[in-house]
Amino acid sequence: MTQEIQRVSPFFADPAPAHSLIDDTDGRFRVHARAYTDQAIFDLEQKQVFSRVWVYVGHESEFGKPGDFKTTHIGLQPVIVSRGEDKQIHVMLNRCMHRGAAVCRELHGNTQSFICPYHAWKYSVDGRLLAISGEKDPSGYSAKFDKPEGLRKVPRVDHYRGFYFASLNPDVVPLVDYLGPAARQLIDRKLAQAPEGRITVQGRPFVGVYQGNWKFQSENIIDGYHFMYTHRSFVQLQAKYGDTTGDFGVHKGGSAAEMSKYRNQGNVTGGVHGHGINQKPVVGYDDFFTGAYKDHFSALRDRYGDEELRWVLGMGAGCLFPTFGMIHNQIRIWRPIGPAMTEVTIYPYSLDGAPADFNEGMLRSHERFYGPAGYGAVDDVEVFAINQQGLSASDDAWLIMERGMEAEKRLDSGEVEGLPSSETVHRAFWRQWRRLMDGR
Amino acid sequence: MSDMNRTITRAEAEELLYREARLLDAMQLREWLALYTPEGLYWIPIDDTQPSGRTASLIYDDAARREERVYHLEHLPFPAQNPRSRTVHLVSNVEVLGVDEQGATRVHSSQVIYETRTGDYTQIGLGEISVAVARVEYLLVRAEGGLRIRLKKILLINREMPQGNLTFML
Repeated sequence: MTQEIQRVSPFFADPAPAHSLIDDTDGRFRVHARAYTDQAIFDLEQKQVFSRVWVYVGHESEFGKPGDFKTTHIGLQPVIVSRGEDKQIHVMLNRCMHRGAAVCRELHGNTQSFICPYHAWKYSVDGRLLAISGEKDPSGYSAKFDKPEGLRKVPRVDHYRGFYFASLNPDVVPLVDYLGPAARQLIDRKLAQAPEGRITVQGRPFVGVYQGNWKFQSENIIDGYHFMYTHRSFVQLQAKYGDTTGDFGVHKGGSAAEMSKYRNQGNVTGGVHGHGINQKPVVGYDDFFTGAYKDHFSALRDRYGDEELRWVLGMGAGCLFPTFGMIHNQIRIWRPIGPAMTEVTIYPYSLDGAPADFNEGMLRSHERFYGPAGYGAVDDVEVFAINQQGLSASDDAWLIMERGMEAEKRLDSGEVEGLPSSETVHRAFWRQWRRLMDGR
Repeated sequence: MSDMNRTITRAEAEELLYREARLLDAMQLREWLALYTPEGLYWIPIDDTQPSGRTASLIYDDAARREERVYHLEHLPFPAQNPRSRTVHLVSNVEVLGVDEQGATRVHSSQVIYETRTGDYTQIGLGEISVAVARVEYLLVRAEGGLRIRLKKILLINREMPQGNLTFML
């Protein structure tokens, strides 16, 4: 009967809403549909989640020289990210201090200044207020005027190996601690694929919008369970076409049985701050040293050794809480627009120092699986809309996330390790979500 | 002047483009494949100012990839096309712009493509009509049996902006 009351109206059943939306009693782990559908929950997420954690805002290669900028978001907050004359990365709200107009209307570019289109208040590329039009006019500002210093700065900006994050929370934990061992290892291994240990965001991203909650993407990018089912047609395409249409060796296996076997190797790790990491050692390791790129891979082997290189070439996947993903050679971000509306942006990158035709091959592979006319990611976002549709059948409101609970173990780092197609990473995500939503 | 070297006229180009539109809307995709030359490219760029090696495209299909695209649509059910889309291609503003260095005729057109998913129209994502608006550029050549496409390049007016499900035939 208690269960029945919660199901109908979780807010009345429990004064702490987030608590009542996750049922992890008695070996269960279930999430209430309102966590994905409710406008009040969505609004609370902006305050309790997106305003309190580190959110990815860009990669160093997008800001090669002073004046380079892009616009992006921290939750619902539109921000400008730029490299100033001081060579530093600056993150500020895209909002004039005068009467609130957006000061930047471009997606990316290079500029000396941002000039508000309304009354032409002028800001430097790092956000300092340079000039107020007609400041000393008789109708202007008095000596007592409390003049703003510049655009509102996002209080914390830091990077880990060129990946820039920002936080609206001045008291947020240091970025390096926020990432924790598993997420840092994933990034390190991604960069280890590049001879120069660096990457370059390559060309323009794929951008898509789906009619579903943002947390479906957070869950799915590290969901080892769905691949053989959501992507069944892709598995069949691979069995038929292999590398002849440009997969470029990214999806290992060949037959469906081999692909399934490979995908069930390795492990997943639920990080301390809600991150989920999925890694496995590569199959067909010896083939890397006989093919067209044997010199490239042999140099990596000399540097990292066989054991570590198997994991590097396994190309792990991660969801860094809440909305930053890495998989194959891409950076993915997604941003909440509404409870049932999310934008996903997928940036391919090249490996600095790798052969040019290797990077081009990876780009073609990326295009084939991840594009809106491709054979993979478009089915994922379709499923997110299908999920949202299904949750409108709210008379039964709970989602089951108990896969692999018995098979997981807690590591000394506080992280939890589970099997590849378990929901260990999803549980880590939801536990962190609940902590934040509860104000802890 | 031999027949094969005769200049391609606007009327001939229009006939080919209308036929292509009809084949796409009717999902007669094997016949659509046969419209291309073997080295032909079906291309929907995001940024056509960059070489293909430096940026991803929405579609960058050589012959093998076109064959795969058609096989995928014909034989393998997948969530983004289950249920299916219906489309209508409108082709307009056809102009012959000249002949390139390889002897292919440059043809420009404006196209509007309406698309809707079939199935339970009460559900999210189904039953809505989407519109793709594009300048579509072709390189056409003569071959045995009629004109062939060496390049079809679709420049969507919103190409760098959010795209929905583009798994129907554009």
